[in-house]
Amino acid sequence: MTAMTGTVAAAGTVGASRTRMEGRAKVTGAARYAGEIPFADLAHGWLVASTIARGRVRSVESAPVLAMPGVLAVLHHQNAPRLEEFAGMLGPDPTIQILQNDRVPHVGWPVALVVAETSEQAREAADALVIRYDQEPHDIAFSAQHPGMYTPDDSPLLVTETGKGDIEAGLAASAVVVDEEYTTPEEHHNAMEPHAAMARWDSGRLEVVDSNQGPFAVAQDLAKMFSLDLASVRVRSEHVGGAFGSKGLTRPPVVLAVMAAIVTDRPVRVVLTRRQMFSVVGYRSPTAQRVRLGADTDGRLRAFDHQAASLTSTIHEFVESSAGIGRVMYDADAHHTSHRVVRLDVPTPSWMRAPGEAPGSFALESAIDELAHKCGMDPIALRARNEPAVGPVSGLPFSSRNVLGCFEEGARRFGWADRDPRPGAAREGRWLLGTGTAAATYPARVAPSTAAVTAEADGTFTVRITAVDLGTGARTALTQIAADALEVELDRIQVKIADSDFGQAMIAGGSMGTRSWALAITAAATELRAQLALPGDIPSDGITARSDTAEAIGALARQERHSFGAQFAEVAVDVTTGEVRVRRMLGIFAAGRVVNPLTARSQLIGGMTWGLSMALHEEAIRDQASGAHVNADLAGYHFASNADVPVIEVDWVDDPDTHDPTGIKGLGEIGIVGAAAAIANAVWHATGVRHRDLPIRPDRVLLAGSRGC
Amino acid sequence: MDFLRPATLQQALEAKAERPAAVPIAGGTDVMVEINFDTRRPDALLDLNQVAELAEIGSDGGLLRVGACVSYARIIGELGRELPGLALASRTVGSPQIRNRGTVGGNLGAASPAGDAHPVLLACDALVEAASVRGTRLIPAAGFYQGPKRSVLAPDELITAFRIGPAMGPQQFAKIGTRNAMVIAVCSFALSLWPQGRPAGTGGTIGTGIGSAGPVPLRATDAEEFLAAELASAGLWESGVALPSTVTHTFGELVAGAARPIDDVRGTAAYRRHALSVLARRTLGWTWDSYRKGARQCA
Repeated sequence: MTAMTGTVAAAGTVGASRTRMEGRAKVTGAARYAGEIPFADLAHGWLVASTIARGRVRSVESAPVLAMPGVLAVLHHQNAPRLEEFAGMLGPDPTIQILQNDRVPHVGWPVALVVAETSEQAREAADALVIRYDQEPHDIAFSAQHPGMYTPDDSPLLVTETGKGDIEAGLAASAVVVDEEYTTPEEHHNAMEPHAAMARWDSGRLEVVDSNQGPFAVAQDLAKMFSLDLASVRVRSEHVGGAFGSKGLTRPPVVLAVMAAIVTDRPVRVVLTRRQMFSVVGYRSPTAQRVRLGADTDGRLRAFDHQAASLTSTIHEFVESSAGIGRVMYDADAHHTSHRVVRLDVPTPSWMRAPGEAPGSFALESAIDELAHKCGMDPIALRARNEPAVGPVSGLPFSSRNVLGCFEEGARRFGWADRDPRPGAAREGRWLLGTGTAAATYPARVAPSTAAVTAEADGTFTVRITAVDLGTGARTALTQIAADALEVELDRIQVKIADSDFGQAMIAGGSMGTRSWALAITAAATELRAQLALPGDIPSDGITARSDTAEAIGALARQERHSFGAQFAEVAVDVTTGEVRVRRMLGIFAAGRVVNPLTARSQLIGGMTWGLSMALHEEAIRDQASGAHVNADLAGYHFASNADVPVIEVDWVDDPDTHDPTGIKGLGEIGIVGAAAAIANAVWHATGVRHRDLPIRPDRVLLAGSRGC
Repeated sequence: MDFLRPATLQQALEAKAERPAAVPIAGGTDVMVEINFDTRRPDALLDLNQVAELAEIGSDGGLLRVGACVSYARIIGELGRELPGLALASRTVGSPQIRNRGTVGGNLGAASPAGDAHPVLLACDALVEAASVRGTRLIPAAGFYQGPKRSVLAPDELITAFRIGPAMGPQQFAKIGTRNAMVIAVCSFALSLWPQGRPAGTGGTIGTGIGSAGPVPLRATDAEEFLAAELASAGLWESGVALPSTVTHTFGELVAGAARPIDDVRGTAAYRRHALSVLARRTLGWTWDSYRKGARQCA
C-alpha cells in the first residue's frame, strides 16, 4: 500500500478505472501512426516478396522498372547496403538479414525493395518487377512424425526438456491413464495497424518512426546492423495499433526503410500489406502435442508427460514452448516435459500472444478434463487435488498462487454446482448444450529498465521512459503509477514514452511491461522526492531524477512468479450442421495488483475472445505444391466476428504479491490461456465427442458425430 | 486505369457500349477486393453511383422493380415486408459497412456462386433487367448464371434492376458459414412458398435456390415439384397440419441431390450436401410453421 505522507497527498489512483489519456486523439484521428506521419520529400518503398518456397534468386531485372514513372531505386541482394551480423536481445536474427544474399528460404521472403516518389508508383513498379529464380524442391509438411524432428538446445527463452522420476513406471502403476495427441494449426497475429517504418537522416542522425514494441531495442539493433553509434540513432513509436508479439523484435520494414534512406538520401517509408504480414513478422507454429497422464482413481497424478512438437524455418530456430505450462501447473512423482522442432521451408515463427501457454494449455487442459471424466471426478476437484505446494520442476516457492480462488469464485458465478456432469445430457431444440472449464497461467517476469522523472518549475512532473502503448492503455497505467509514486493528482503528470532517446527499457511484451516500467518509474520518483525534500527552489529546467532497476531486479528472490486464472465457457452445438456457438464465457484471474481495472478488463476480454477464435476459427492453410498461403488475408483467415462473441465476463480475485515492490504481475497474455480448452471441453460436454484438433470446424464436429465416438 | 463517371443511365449505357471492357462498379465490395489483390486490372472502371435511376425502387405491374444500385441496407430497411427472403439474405452479407455499400446488382454482376442474393432471386423467379444502347431485356434468374463468375450479360450491357414478385407466403434463407458474420457461405439455401401461385403466373407453389454448392447458383427443381405435389395431393395447404417427416426428409435429400458441390478451403463436397439437406429441412419447417400460423389467424 502506498504511504500517504506528502502534503499534497492525493487519493491513490492505482486500482481506479481511468479512460485512456490519448483516447480522444485516437477516436478523432489526431493520433498519428507510423504509416501516416507526413514528412517533407518522403519517398515510398514497396517490398517485393519471393514467390518460391526454396531456391536462389538468379536475376532481378530492374532496368525496365527503373524506367517507370517515379521510380528512384530497386534494392536487391546485389546492391543493397551490407548489414553487420550481430547478436541482438536474443542472439543473431537472420530474419532481418535481408537482401544480403540470393537464398530464398520461404514464400514471402523479401527479395527486393522498390523505392518511388509515391506509394502507388512503388507498388506498380514492384508488381512489374521480374525476378527469376533457381527453384529447389521444398518441404512444408508439418507433423510430429517428420523425420527431421530434433531436440533443440536450451536457449535463454526455453529449457527444452525437464524430467524427474520414471514416466513409464508411473503410467504402468496408474489406475487411470490418458494418452492422447492434440494439434493446433498455424496461427497468425495481424494487428489492426500493419507494420510500418519511416527512416531519414536528420543532421547526421538516423531518425526512425516505426511501429514496434520496443524502440530502444530497435535502435540498438539498427545501430549494430548499420555500424552506427547508438547515440546517432533515434527510434520513436508514439502510437502503435496492436502488436501481440509481432512487433516485439526489429522487423524487415524498418531495416528496408533505413537501407532505402541510405541509398536515396531521402526520407523513406515502408508499409507492409496485410498479405505480406503473413510472411515476415512471425506467427504461431502449428503444434502436435502428446500428453500422457497417469493417476490413481482419486485423481492424484502419478505420471505427467507433455511432449510438444512445432516447426521453425531453415534460417532461424524458434521453438513454441507449449510443454512449459505443466512445469507450473501440476506435479507428479514422474514428471517429464519436452520440446522438439523441425526445420521446414516456411517463414520463421515467433512470439504470438501467450507463446507456449496458448497452444500448450489447449492440450494440457483438455487432457486434464479427459482425466477427470475417466476418474469420474469434477474437473475442478481434480485440479484442486493436484495443486502443487511448490514449483513442480523448480522446487521454488510460489510468490503467490490463487488458482483455486479463481475456480471457487468462477464456479460460484458460472453456476457450476448445478452442472450435470454427463455429456450430451442437455438439449434445447436442435442445440446440444455443454459447459467446460480450464485453468490458466502465465509467467510474471520482470526486466531491467531505466526511467527519468522531472519536477518542473510550474509544479508539474514529467516522466520519460521508453515504454510503448500498443493500445493496451500503458500510457494511462504509467500515469496512474507515477501519480501515486509522487502522491500528486493525475493532471500534474505528463508521461512521455516510446522514444529511444529516453534510454533503455523493457519492451512492451511478455506481460512484463507494466511491472518492469512501474518499478523504474517508482524508483526515479522516490529518488526525486528525496531531492525535493532538500531546501531550495526548482530551477527553470526542473530537477530530474533517474533510475535503473537492473541491480534491484538482480536482487529479487528466486521464486515461481505467475498469474493464474480459471476459464469457463458454455457452448451450444448443432449436431446436424456441426456449428458451435459459444453462449457465454467467464474468466476469473489472480494477476497481482490491477493498475487500471477498465483497460485490464478490456485486455482480458480481448484475450478470451482470441481464445474463442483459436477454438473455432483460426487456421492458416498452406498449399503443399507452392508452399504459399491459401488464406493470407482477413477474408480467408477467420477470427471471431462481433456476432460470434457472446457475453464475456471478466473479474479478478485478490492476489497480493508481497515479494515484489509493485505487486504487479501483468495480464496481457493470460486472457487467451485455457480459453480454447474451456470451449473444447464444453463441446465435449455438449456432445460426448472429444475434439483434439483445432479449430473445431463444423465439418469436424459433423464427421466426429457420424463416427459416433 | 480510367475512371468513368456517367451522370445518367443514358451516358452509362453509351460509355459501356463504347468501352465494353469497362468494369461497372457500385458498392465496390467485390471489384475493389479484386483490384486490391491484383487479380483483376480493368482498363476502365464505370462508376454507377451518380446514376440516380439505378438507385430507385418502384413497381411494374405486379412486380417490384429494384434498381441495381439499391444497397442491402435499403433492402433490409425498406423492403423487409415485400421481400422477406431477400431481406434475410441481405442481413447475412458482410458487415454493416458492407451492407451500406453492397448491392444486389453487384452480386449479379460478380455472378459468384457464393453470392448471398442469388438463392432468393432463384426461389422468387426474379427477372434480371439488362440494358444497353440496343435496348432492354429481362432475363430469368435461372437463365442468368453461366458458370463461376460468368453470366449471360453481353459486353455492352449493364444490369439496371431486378424485378421480383412480392411475397405471397412465407420465405426463408439460411446460410452456413464458419463464423456468424463477415463470412463467405459454405453453402446457403432459400425457400419460398406461394400458396396461391405466383404473381406472374409462372412457376409452382414452391421456390428454391441453392448457393455456394455448384459452379452456379442452382434451383432444386425435383425438390420443388416433389413438395408441391405432396402438399397438393394430401390437401395440406387446406388442412394446414404438420408435415409428415417423410416429406421433410425427402425434400432435404432432393435438395442435397440437386447440388453440384466441390471440395474447397471452406468445406468439403460431402459436408455441403449434408448441410444443404439440413438447411432444406429446417427452412421448410420454419416456412410451414409460419404458413400454418398465418392460416390459423385468417380462419
